Amino acid sequence: MNAHAKRIGLNIGGGYVPGINSAITGVVLASAELGWEVVGIRDGFDGVLFPERYPEGGLAPLGAPVVEMATAGGAPLLGNATRSDPFRVRRLNADNTVQEVDRSGDLLAGLAAAKIDAVVSVVGPQALSILFRLHRQGLAVVCVPTSVENDVAVTQLSFGFNSALSFAVEMLERVRQAAQATRRIGVVEVPGEHAGWLALQAGIAACADAVLIPEIPYDLERVAARLRRKQEAGGHFGLVVVAEGALPAGGERPDAEALATHSMKAALSPGATGPMGGHVIEGTGRAAHAVARHLQRLTDRTTSPLVLGPLVKGGAPTAVDRQLGLGYGAAAVRALAEGCSGVMATFQPPDLRFVPLGEAINKVRTVPSDSLFLQIARSLGICLGESEVMS
Amino acid sequence: MTATGTSATGVTGVTGMVLNIQHFCTHDGPGMRTTVFLKGCSLRCKWCSNPESIHPKPELAYNLSKCIGKEQCGACLSACPESAIFNVDGDAKVRINWDLCTNCGKCVPGCPPQALYLFGQEMTVEQVLDDVERDGSVYRESGGGMTLSGGECQLQADFAAALLAGAHERGINTAIETAFNVPWSHVEKVLPHVDTVLHDIKLTDPAAHKAWTGVDNTRIRENIKRAYEAFPNARFIARTPIIPGVNDDEEHIRATLAFIRPHKNVVDYELLPYMRFGESKYGFLGKVYEMQDFEPPPPELMARLRAIIDEAFGRTPGRAAR
Repeated sequence: MNAHAKRIGLNIGGGYVPGINSAITGVVLASAELGWEVVGIRDGFDGVLFPERYPEGGLAPLGAPVVEMATAGGAPLLGNATRSDPFRVRRLNADNTVQEVDRSGDLLAGLAAAKIDAVVSVVGPQALSILFRLHRQGLAVVCVPTSVENDVAVTQLSFGFNSALSFAVEMLERVRQAAQATRRIGVVEVPGEHAGWLALQAGIAACADAVLIPEIPYDLERVAARLRRKQEAGGHFGLVVVAEGALPAGGERPDAEALATHSMKAALSPGATGPMGGHVIEGTGRAAHAVARHLQRLTDRTTSPLVLGPLVKGGAPTAVDRQLGLGYGAAAVRALAEGCSGVMATFQPPDLRFVPLGEAINKVRTVPSDSLFLQIARSLGICLGESEVMS
Repeated sequence: MTATGTSATGVTGVTGMVLNIQHFCTHDGPGMRTTVFLKGCSLRCKWCSNPESIHPKPELAYNLSKCIGKEQCGACLSACPESAIFNVDGDAKVRINWDLCTNCGKCVPGCPPQALYLFGQEMTVEQVLDDVERDGSVYRESGGGMTLSGGECQLQADFAAALLAGAHERGINTAIETAFNVPWSHVEKVLPHVDTVLHDIKLTDPAAHKAWTGVDNTRIRENIKRAYEAFPNARFIARTPIIPGVNDDEEHIRATLAFIRPHKNVVDYELLPYMRFGESKYGFLGKVYEMQDFEPPPPELMARLRAIIDEAFGRTPGRAAR
């Protein structure tokens, strides 16, 4: 890494999450303090790889005046790419043939031509691998973790999670009120393909009757028994939170066909990979509907599935995510100033530290079996669908 | 493909990238055939049932169900130079980070259960033809022969031409399955050695063609028309894979008939119902199968569309030309 970097490229490698503008602001303001310049790379790396697509230029100047005019919850200061992989860029050749080509060399050359000394990349767990590979090719980069599922390894808290959690809790409370009024069982699905943090913490905060997470294969008979006991005690409604990757004990959901995906997380997930190697999370909404349908059979009561899905990724950031975004952005600049590269900024309370990207890839931060949150949930009588309750 | 020499009977020592040689095929041309699948494709059809044929070079696949686990084996973990193979706590089997895999294949030789394997190998013309010729008696009795398929077999034009010419020299009937999305210079090399050309006409509208296959069909249609005229002695059979909601309308069938019927060497037009054959292979390759919500077209629809073709060819419904 060039310890004297003066011009930083900043890009967003994942989808929008609350706090993006705070992270951008953190990078810009911390750079300004050092007298450094920041330029935004539009849409992941597309602004460099495909400058012809941007009449206004593939790079967006991001000075202090620009970020000071923006609000944390307003329109994003910089476009993102849901997937930006310079190693496999689909190209339509002049002879009308389609080909996937490695354009990582073009990317590095483009960054050099733009006199960008280092890149700060705001990314989720999947894009970390691509940044790791680019770093091995010579890119000076510092990553900032973002995930509403809080599943990026090595860091305690990715920004975006706290905002998603707050929104999910509010929605759960509304669902509970509606379920109470209509004497139904509300089944709410929240993001969490492989990590159940959002379901678990939101479920605790809303005092749900049951929380089903990918880390614990569930037995719906247990959930039904919990709801029956509640009904016998006069509680004529129920609230069940299910992470989208939660699966029944013994394997795949009955309605789940084997499905492949390019997601790195698919390869990572023991729970989401069926016996034939297929990926069994079929998409947003399937978990809620499967659980609601089966619970209705088991309890003979009306159930209402609701899928929060991408809704949790919108809206204004909480105070925690604003601080975290600013802190992560500033930390990334500090890493570059200290001569670090090929690292990810991590929050390991009470510190913001830097870990090599090689330690952050090929991992997902899941809920461990001795998690304090699991203990709290059990103490509160929240059913986790376990076949045999562990304590 | 590489060429290392020529002989009086054709090119020898020529090599190409072969995906698979499949014997006793009944849907890839007349009679009982051996189909040689060549690697590499110039289209990206979303419904592709042979995703392992797209990449022009050997490509890693991983069948997780065959992995015997880190405790018993784990050889691949140290063999991978890219950190693309790993193990997560609490899980016996290894995982692949497809974003890091470069298809180098160094993990393959040390995998006893062959959970890790490469799709595709380089072969010489002679190696392929010797394998194909094993079923010579079957071809003679059934009127079959060798079919080159893919991928797009015409992308490896020199190799394909050498295979087809070599097959003719050995008295083997030849056919190809092609989408014609190649430069005309490739067609000029390949088609002189082909008895039957099975070619796709996937969509009529250029914009829709581009949306579903990655390219518009302008050059494809030019190539097909030009091939009909330049190779009058070859038998052409047009084909459309019927994808529900994409091209399962009568308009496309009639437009295709209008395109092919003026040419007398187009002997048939076949409709192939969309099937989900390739779905599991996407998983083995770490790729996304985008058609999970698509179901095969109902038999009644296929019958109705085929009746239009039968009528155009002036034959009793249900009777194909071959």
